[in-house]
Amino acid sequence: MITLLVALIIGALLFGIGLYGALSQTNLVMIMMGVELMLGGAMVNLVAFWRFLHPEVYAGQVFVLVVMTVMALEMAVGFGVGTARFRARGSVEMEEARELKG
Amino acid sequence: MLLQALFAGFFGMAAVWFGVVVFRTSSMVRSALALLFSMTAVGAMFLAMEAEFLGVLQIMMMATEMAIMAIFMVMYMMDPGGLGQMDMSHQKRAAQAAGVLGALVAIGVALLTSWGPAANAAPGAAEQTRLLGIELMERSMLIFETAGVTILTAMIAATAAAIERRRR
Repeated sequence: MITLLVALIIGALLFGIGLYGALSQTNLVMIMMGVELMLGGAMVNLVAFWRFLHPEVYAGQVFVLVVMTVMALEMAVGFGVGTARFRARGSVEMEEARELKG
Repeated sequence: MLLQALFAGFFGMAAVWFGVVVFRTSSMVRSALALLFSMTAVGAMFLAMEAEFLGVLQIMMMATEMAIMAIFMVMYMMDPGGLGQMDMSHQKRAAQAAGVLGALVAIGVALLTSWGPAANAAPGAAEQTRLLGIELMERSMLIFETAGVTILTAMIAATAAAIERRRR
């Protein structure tokens, strides 16, 4: 049980750091890093729930695979938007972005 | 069990520490490397929690992902080396408050909830991978296929967004 609590606390801390990063950074790539940390925290929780509460139900592991997919998709779409933005305005600073027009 | 908690705690603290370094260093390349180390520590935590397949997958995926991220950072940042000491943050106080509040609420829920008895043993690595494969090919097949189609859609969308438009 102690490992479950350790994992949940670590997951909460990673989520908090990621939330701080996503809200405080002005650069698109750094904001994406914050979101990655938040998803990392969620994954730690999911693995801990699978391992210590229901190791016989593999839907928990499938959920982690889905979160990993979301992380990869977030990177791909984020960099796609970043590339379009950099081409149009020469920067990926989100403070200057008031619209999604490329 | 105690050894498992110690290893999970050690790698977890490493993940948290490198997570903090991501937003403290002014060099973008160091930020990307710190995030890589943080995610690798998360993968090591999975290994400590006996989720071997997911642990190895996490480490492999993040190594590739962060290498790509570092390249994009060098391409797009005005000061990737952090030599100019540019401040690229805003609303710091509010962000700190939100981060601390989010973490505290999650810790509170973790500590105050009654989770019931913890399972003592998990299946071995080979058996786990076999059972995960069966889960993916049977009960969760629709979810798995949906993830595949979503990846394809995102690839096309990202390429379409990034491609240069020629104005006539």
